[in-house]
Amino acid sequence: MSQAVSMQGVRKTFGPKVAVEGIDLSIPEGAIYGFIGPNGAGKTTTIRMIMSILFPDRGELSVLGKKSAVESKDRIGYLPEERGIYKKMKVGSFLMHMGRLKGLDRSGLKPRVMEWLDRVDLADVHKKKCEELSKGMQQKVQFVASVLHDPDLIILDEPFSGLDPVNMRLLRSLIDEEHGRGKTVIFSTHVMHQAEQNCDHIVMIHHGKKVLDDSLDVIRKRFDPRALLVEPIEGTSRSHDVALVEGVAHVTAIDGALEVVLDQGVDPQRAMRSLLDSMPMNRVEIKRPTLEDIFIEIVSGGKRGADAEQLRAELFAETPEQEEGDS
Amino acid sequence: MNLSKVFRVAGREFASTAMTKGFIIGALVMPAAIGALMPLIIVLTMSAQPPADTGTVYVLDRSADVTGTLSDRLAPENVEARWQERFEKVKDVTKRMLPSGQEGTLDQGIANAKSIIRYPNFRVIPAGSDTDIDELKEEMQAQVAAEGKARGDIETVLAIIEIDADATQKVNEDEGYGGFQVFLRPKLNDETIGEIRDGVKWSIRQRRYENAGINRTQVLEISEVSERDSQEITAEGEKKAASEFTNFIIPIVSLVLLLIASMTGGQYLLTTTVEEKSNRVVEVILSACSPMELMTGKILGQMFVGLSLLVVYSWLGIFALIYMERQDLVSLSTIVLIFVFFILAYFMFASLMAAIGSAVNEMREAQSLMTPVILLMMLPYFFFMPVIRAPNSMLSTVTSFIPPISPFIMIMRVASNDPPPVWQTGLVILVNAVAVVIFLWLAAKVFRVGLLMFGKPPNVRTLIKWIRMA
Repeated sequence: MSQAVSMQGVRKTFGPKVAVEGIDLSIPEGAIYGFIGPNGAGKTTTIRMIMSILFPDRGELSVLGKKSAVESKDRIGYLPEERGIYKKMKVGSFLMHMGRLKGLDRSGLKPRVMEWLDRVDLADVHKKKCEELSKGMQQKVQFVASVLHDPDLIILDEPFSGLDPVNMRLLRSLIDEEHGRGKTVIFSTHVMHQAEQNCDHIVMIHHGKKVLDDSLDVIRKRFDPRALLVEPIEGTSRSHDVALVEGVAHVTAIDGALEVVLDQGVDPQRAMRSLLDSMPMNRVEIKRPTLEDIFIEIVSGGKRGADAEQLRAELFAETPEQEEGDS
Repeated sequence: MNLSKVFRVAGREFASTAMTKGFIIGALVMPAAIGALMPLIIVLTMSAQPPADTGTVYVLDRSADVTGTLSDRLAPENVEARWQERFEKVKDVTKRMLPSGQEGTLDQGIANAKSIIRYPNFRVIPAGSDTDIDELKEEMQAQVAAEGKARGDIETVLAIIEIDADATQKVNEDEGYGGFQVFLRPKLNDETIGEIRDGVKWSIRQRRYENAGINRTQVLEISEVSERDSQEITAEGEKKAASEFTNFIIPIVSLVLLLIASMTGGQYLLTTTVEEKSNRVVEVILSACSPMELMTGKILGQMFVGLSLLVVYSWLGIFALIYMERQDLVSLSTIVLIFVFFILAYFMFASLMAAIGSAVNEMREAQSLMTPVILLMMLPYFFFMPVIRAPNSMLSTVTSFIPPISPFIMIMRVASNDPPPVWQTGLVILVNAVAVVIFLWLAAKVFRVGLLMFGKPPNVRTLIKWIRMA
């Protein structure tokens, strides 16, 4: 399968600050990739380099078989994180302008705009000025602007930020639809469960370096947990007894349940059986790691407990939309 | 560079700037409306004139020689006759300036002026030579304090004239004549004051001539030297020589036209660039076209904005000249050169604006970077007088070769009555064309880096760093 995007040893610095450090990447056509990482990790810089808005200091890059995106801009749809809109322009004219800039012919452009507006439930706003729309509506208009010209490669930088759950679902289904039509989709997010819901392949970026690049299934298997989640009928007060069960390394209480971390080399199936035998349980299950857990594990070098929790708080605290600025 | 994208950007730029109500009203309709309203404004100011002054003038004539002449001079029928004569003179002069077929309008205008302008009505009372002037002053002061006397009352004391004893006869041959002094009631019309002072001066002179035995009419005839319009003998033949006024007007109009057109386009370019950046729409646009395409498109789009202003204003100017039958004052080559120099000046100015606009986050931050550019644009004004006086002096020639003020200086030289040789014009265009390329090249570098830089507003040093970086 040919590659939609490939990068080798790409590095980008801004003055003394290294934004991206030697990233290798290859994204096959038709894939749906998620770039994840905390704010300021280098996701936007990587995407801007793919878009040829920034140019790498070092390294090789090819997009849709061309040396740079400059030659194939019309085949790429891009929703930047810093999205803007011409406030005084009417929604319809803005989309027509973007369509024409992307090389679409005037003929058939208007019906196409109307059709897309209809698909995002904005059929009646094309005569309104952009500034009259709500932020969420503007965001949908911007999404339409990025896919209007039927691009083969769709790059969405933090597409879900600021959307309500209904529109988030709408956007997700539209992305799935494009992916279903064989388009390559790359999107970035710092909210990792969004990536888990949409992507089949994850690229994790931290401090400008790629720390993970695998399909979601493989990642899940590789980070197969040595952790279980148990809920004794008698409540979490029995944690001391749980800790005495064979193969259990330590126990932590979380949200009315107990997280049980197993010793190295212990088979989770057998541990579950022993736990069930030791006392009556409401629930015993394997704790599936979230991408966030995996990420924490990677960047903390396998640390657990308080250290990991502190790191989690630092990296994923729901801060108000941070500007990534030039990172 | 993809030209269709460039033109697409230019089209949007032009439409979003020039096809807005604000632009059409501000730049095009307003000047036209002011022009149309001018006559109305003049009529309004004239109709706001106060009513004519009527009242008494005391003459304390210590020479006992002037009173008779002055009383005659200020007599109501003589004042009226002089004003009628003045109207006729204005009519004659204006008729010569107007194109033929406008006499009806002129008569109408004079009739209007006659009905509006009110000349004063005096009663001259000679005071005895032994009268104490302070008594007269006290009477006037009491009247002013009482505010009782209306303007139309002949009893109102308008002025007291004190004429020196030696005003018309020298007492001592070695010294000059004496003079006079006028004491005025406050807030008199200018016409009234003028009439009184001129009347006294005229009467004193009249008595001096007569006492010296000189015929005044003869003196006037001798001092009057008539001169017909000067003609220039050019290679093409005889033509009317340019006056001081026309020497001035064409260069300054050309300069102002050039400045307005290039600054308007440049200013709009700055605003839209800053707007796109602060809106964050710029990255969306950059996903569709390159920074160079964006910058070129924007500069071209705003060039057409400036160009449309230039076309409208210069057309108005040409129309005005045709109306005054003085189309000989500008040559076609000057008009063509205005457009050529506009393009050159605009591109340099626009490069600076594009660079500044891309570098800052909001308009407020642009101000500090704008100051040197504005000063640069003011320079041609400072050079206006020396260049017009001597269009081919060393100063004029040298400054006309220094971009970016070169086009502004050169247009003044070209439009002056002593235009520079053609080779200089050609060379100036060449120098500026080279400068335009350099300006655009530097601007493009700043533009590329600046567009996606948010945060601390840059200073000139940062801009230079970006130029090195890109």
